[in-house]
Amino acid sequence: MRQRKIRLFLIAYLLPALTIYTVFMILPILQSMRYSLYTGTGIRPDQFVGFGNYVKLFTQFPFRLRFFNVLKNNVLFFIMVSVSQNVFGFVLAVLLTRRFKGRRFFRSLFFVPTALSVIVVGFVFKLILNPVWGVFDRMLRSLGLEALIRPWLGDPALALPILSLVTAWHFVGIPIIFFTAGIDGISDDIIEAGRIDGVSVWGEVRHILLPMLKPIIGIVTILTFVGNFSEFEIVYSMETVYGNPEYATDVFGSFFYRTAFGTVMNNVNDVGLGAALASIMFLIIFVGVLFFLRITRRET
Amino acid sequence: MKRSQVVAVMLVLLLSGALAFAGGKQEPQTAGGQKVVLRYTSLRTEDVERENRINAEFTKKYPGIQIKFEPIKNSEYDTALKTSLETGVGADIVILRSYDGGRQIYDAGYIYELGDLVPNIQSDFTANSVATWATEDGTIYGVPYFGSITGIWYNQEVFDQYSLKEPATWDEFIALCRSLKQNGETVLAHGTNEQWVLTETLLCTVGPNFYGGEKTRQALINGEIKYTDPRFVKAYNKIKELVEFFPPNYQAIDYVTMQQMFMNGQAAMWIAGSWELGVIRDAGLEVGWFGPPVEKKGDRMQYAFYADLGLGLNKATKHKDEAVQFLRWVASPQHASLLANELPGMFPPMKVKFEISDPVALEIVQIAQRADVDTTGQLMWEKLSRQEPSGETLQLEAVQKFLNGTWSAQQAVEYVQKGLDTWYYE
Repeated sequence: MRQRKIRLFLIAYLLPALTIYTVFMILPILQSMRYSLYTGTGIRPDQFVGFGNYVKLFTQFPFRLRFFNVLKNNVLFFIMVSVSQNVFGFVLAVLLTRRFKGRRFFRSLFFVPTALSVIVVGFVFKLILNPVWGVFDRMLRSLGLEALIRPWLGDPALALPILSLVTAWHFVGIPIIFFTAGIDGISDDIIEAGRIDGVSVWGEVRHILLPMLKPIIGIVTILTFVGNFSEFEIVYSMETVYGNPEYATDVFGSFFYRTAFGTVMNNVNDVGLGAALASIMFLIIFVGVLFFLRITRRET
Repeated sequence: MKRSQVVAVMLVLLLSGALAFAGGKQEPQTAGGQKVVLRYTSLRTEDVERENRINAEFTKKYPGIQIKFEPIKNSEYDTALKTSLETGVGADIVILRSYDGGRQIYDAGYIYELGDLVPNIQSDFTANSVATWATEDGTIYGVPYFGSITGIWYNQEVFDQYSLKEPATWDEFIALCRSLKQNGETVLAHGTNEQWVLTETLLCTVGPNFYGGEKTRQALINGEIKYTDPRFVKAYNKIKELVEFFPPNYQAIDYVTMQQMFMNGQAAMWIAGSWELGVIRDAGLEVGWFGPPVEKKGDRMQYAFYADLGLGLNKATKHKDEAVQFLRWVASPQHASLLANELPGMFPPMKVKFEISDPVALEIVQIAQRADVDTTGQLMWEKLSRQEPSGETLQLEAVQKFLNGTWSAQQAVEYVQKGLDTWYYE
């Protein structure tokens, strides 16, 4: 009797959230997948083309150029952000879990950028890096490093790394929070045991922290992966929706936006093609998440 | 414990049910009563005050009708327009982009045909501009609102300082740029970061004098020539000659930076559109203008003067009669004068004469009326951008990669041609 009551109770609590989630998230995703089989310029595509949109994205000129370009850019973006945001975030987290005065202040400080809106961050950095009156170049000049000045957001080789660094700066608070929570959660006995055995900080990291934090590393990586592959705002605010310069910062998000909704110079849009792209994005992210979940599973 | 659990469950269900209906009801449209308010959406957010002044004149003439100008940011406009029309919350009067941009809206059935409602469009506007918002069989769906001209702005102070004359030929222009550069001035406020600038205000401004202007544009549309024609390669190479006069790190300079550079007097010249005149006046800058330099003395100048935006009437409007009255007023010379004076640099493409008070604006439009000048438009806007990969998108990429040195002129034009081959030249 008690089991049944608990079960009913659980269902009653889960049902509203499940209903809302299904209606507002699952159904639109399925609807979008349905749209991907159609084409047309209205808000609702109406010409059935089967898998034509997918074939178009993978094989037709110049769509395939754009598609593989955004795939490449997203992978590169993810790698660069992972290194600069998560690895660096981990290092900071290890440092922030040592005992020192002002530790709590620094923990909060690193989280402040995350509270800023992406558009604001993008625009501010764009101004900082402006070649004519940006403070970054001015600072380099005052330090005598004028030779290092480049067209930061205009060089196809530099633009994407810069965007990843900006994203990393913006969101470094997230891995820090996760990792500090994880490190704090490791039982003191283990740390003590390690200390008694004479382990160094690096040893502690390698033999205690990393293995024990594996699931958290997994979560952080997954969040980064999902966020990066659906990234749009940072490109939009810093390099316009075209992924300037020369499509070097074009990612799935911006490519999708242009395809599904059209742009200023070119109002031709194809919601069906955009939906196909979105479905591909969904699949990539889904597979990626499963992959990361698997390899960071804690061996019990 | 039992009863409080039940209450808790009921509360949760109730709250979630309430959330589902928490959307709130739409405010019903209040028709009737004293004032009719017509919503007018546009993509020119910089014109709010000026448009309100213009539209206030309309309300003076027709006291029961008020115009509410609701502009949306340029880059969002097309999406916002289509979405709002599709979902039935679109404005009564909508700005339509030229050619295929506006045609899409008409083909989707969102706007009225205006041939009978605003009868003087055919007679009072230039043929080119009427055709921009009409189908091949002559069905008109948009009132030409204003046209833009692109050419070269220059800072009057800088020119006076070095006693420079407006150049007529390309060689004179390059020599002028060189002398400015030698004197340490920033010659051109230009960059290659933002794509549309490179085609609209660079390639199709100074380029037409080298690729054959309007005749070539028509030939391209008709399929008589291809984009790989040596004429276009020539035009590409010509604009490349200007890159040495761009500021350092120009690859990172975008449109707003260009605009601000020129407005702040940091650059001597800016190849841009006549529409900038409003901002220039607000910045209080002393400027001059000259048309694109020709190849050799005596050549006809190919001057880019094209109808940029038109007005359409939303079929879903609840105030059709009032909206028609507004559109008829827009198609009148009275409005044309108001527009030309409030928005200096925008030119209503009317055949009927109207007053222009700003001397520079007058100068700009008078060049178009010279006997040795042909007017032309943007290369890819008519017909060639109807489908993806549109001519415009291809061209944007090609010009950017060419000017940045990634592609040669040959590679650039071949790329555009390849893209057009997939659908235009069947």
